[in-house]
Amino acid sequence: MRKFFAVFKREYFKIVKSWSFLLGTLLVPIIASMFAIIPALLFSLNGDAVRLIIVDQSGTVSTRVKTNLSPEKLAEKAKLAAEDSLKNITQGQKAQLENSAEQFGGNFAFEDFDFQNRQIEDIRTELNERIKKDKLDAYLIIPQNIDGKDIKVELFARNTSDIITKKMLEEAVNTAFRNQRLAKANIDEAKLEQINRKVDFVTTKVSEKGEELDSDMGFFVAFAVALMMYLVLTIYGQAIMAAVIEEKETRIAEVLFSSAKPFQILIGKLVGVGMAGLTQLTVWLTSAALIAAYGLAVSKASGFAMQLPSISPLFIVYFALFFILGFFSFAAIFALIGSIAPTLQEAGQFALIPVLFMLGGFYAMFPITRDPNSTLSVILSIIPFASPMTMPTRIITETPPFWQIGLAILFNLIAIAFFVWIASRVYRIGMLMYGKRATIPEIWKWIWQA
Amino acid sequence: METTLKVENVTKRYGDFVAVNNISFEVKAGRIFGFLGPNGAGKTTTIRMIVNITAPDEGEISLFGDKISPQVQDKIGYLPEERGLYKKMKIAEQLRYFAALKGISSKIADQRIDFWLDRIGLSEWKLKKANDLSKGMQQKIQFISAVIHEPDLIILDEPFSGLDPVNVETLIEIIAELKAKGKTIIFSTHLMETAERLCDDIILINKSRKVLGGTLREVKESFEKNMISLRCFGGDKILEDKCFVAELRKHADEVELTLAENADPQELLKELLLNGAKVTKFELVEPSLNDIFIDKVKEKNA
Repeated sequence: MRKFFAVFKREYFKIVKSWSFLLGTLLVPIIASMFAIIPALLFSLNGDAVRLIIVDQSGTVSTRVKTNLSPEKLAEKAKLAAEDSLKNITQGQKAQLENSAEQFGGNFAFEDFDFQNRQIEDIRTELNERIKKDKLDAYLIIPQNIDGKDIKVELFARNTSDIITKKMLEEAVNTAFRNQRLAKANIDEAKLEQINRKVDFVTTKVSEKGEELDSDMGFFVAFAVALMMYLVLTIYGQAIMAAVIEEKETRIAEVLFSSAKPFQILIGKLVGVGMAGLTQLTVWLTSAALIAAYGLAVSKASGFAMQLPSISPLFIVYFALFFILGFFSFAAIFALIGSIAPTLQEAGQFALIPVLFMLGGFYAMFPITRDPNSTLSVILSIIPFASPMTMPTRIITETPPFWQIGLAILFNLIAIAFFVWIASRVYRIGMLMYGKRATIPEIWKWIWQA
Repeated sequence: METTLKVENVTKRYGDFVAVNNISFEVKAGRIFGFLGPNGAGKTTTIRMIVNITAPDEGEISLFGDKISPQVQDKIGYLPEERGLYKKMKIAEQLRYFAALKGISSKIADQRIDFWLDRIGLSEWKLKKANDLSKGMQQKIQFISAVIHEPDLIILDEPFSGLDPVNVETLIEIIAELKAKGKTIIFSTHLMETAERLCDDIILINKSRKVLGGTLREVKESFEKNMISLRCFGGDKILEDKCFVAELRKHADEVELTLAENADPQELLKELLLNGAKVTKFELVEPSLNDIFIDKVKEKNA
């Protein structure tokens, strides 16, 4: 026990005191908080106003277009978009980006231009000249007829790759056209507003605990949980492998083995590195909770309420438990690879196998969040090596019956006992074999050798 | 005299290969024991069994009168032949860790680290990383890791390989000091001159079997003194007589000869004098450990 503790202490502090650990532990929350804070900051920033001239040959829509592009209208729209994007975090990242970009996109300065009784070519020549001289950024040409088919509104601009501005103009023009046409059909402005009013879409999660208002953040949390698990398992599993290889390459193993049982050393190593991983996870989770609380406060202050999914203390316990289970089953495999491979490079190739398993577990999250109670989900969340990532996902999306959680824990424990046993048998002999990779029959012999 | 280590009929096999074949010996407390043999003879395998890294297939090993156990293991210090340090760990930290593995608190370890670093002249390297040290320096640090817990039995596998002559002398001094403190020391080497200087007892193994063993004196005396160191003028005819001399080696101003089988040294001297040789030196030389080693190994391999 005393020797186990000596190994544990060294392995734990070696990692926790290292620069890379400090960097990783602090950097991840900082980057994460940047994702939360920067869009809010950018929201308050405005670029230079786009100088715009509307050549409205119909003479009826330009006022509406201008209103649609007014700062008040844009801010209102941005707020709606923000609420929407928070509700539907599932949509692709690109769409999200566009949405949030839109929040800080437009800002227009309208310039007057008298075009009465002038030829369109004439107007264009003059305005093009203005754009060339940098006195204007863009102009819109709206045709005389706004009711017929195939009506074209033309935008001429210096910068045509600014898709955000383009999209905003397009929307503003379309809305203006629609409203103008409706007005023409004798629908008054008050009625118009009523027609355009959006409906609110409310999602309610039904579970054993009864109805519970859900913010659609469940998937986001499940994703974050699985991602953290995957990251920490990969990083610390490989840390175990590197530590084992180091002791083999530097020939320290023999001194260690003359001081303590290989089993004590291996277990001390696994627990030490595992606890370092758990330390990092704790910091990450705590800061994630703080960032979420901050985000909640900010969103409340800015006027639209955001609901966080409820995370029970029991979930935290499960999460820690499944991390530990996952860590030990993968760490045993990594330790096994470390004992067999003669160099870190060669071990890296073997390490692909468990990493692929982890990746599989991570991706299994997608079908599971879609249908947490399908047979596939149940199987994926019970088998060892997958369950440390899939079971927490299931617990957070829809808590499965306890017997399934219990079964997952049991199978993991069996897998850990089995693989730690094999790893320790191979470790005690493989560590003293220098320079060559062991063959399968050799490894088989080592396992049974006295 | 107390017995520190007893190896009885120990055999170790790796598949069909017999690495150690029915070897027995004893190491008495407070003595320096030389474990000699050519490369691949089975020295390291035997030592690994003594320090409980591997177990013998047959036979028994007892230490301090007991079977091997964690308590017994703490009383052993071991410097393996294949050795190293954690590259990126500071010297003091590594030594503290190795001490902790032997159950020494960091407070006591710190005192001993200072003492030993001072003794080997590496005090200013205490807070440097192992990577910054030369190979020879690292080897001296590894030696400290074998003695930091003040073990009663110190096992050094090829401790001198890779050290320069100055450091070899320092290490020999330290080994002598440890012996004076009552420690038992086992070391393996193929530097016969060093072994001859240091060892009280030796064992010679070759091709996994014990060839000979005992106190250095016994071993040497068991070899016939059939070598003569001679300085004389004249009598060349006698020296070329195959009835007397089997082999003749001429040095600067003297010759060394091996007597022919059944030749009597007294007869040789008499013949030399009768033939008018002027003899200024005539000495029966005891074979060196090196001679015995080469002789025995060749005999076995033949």
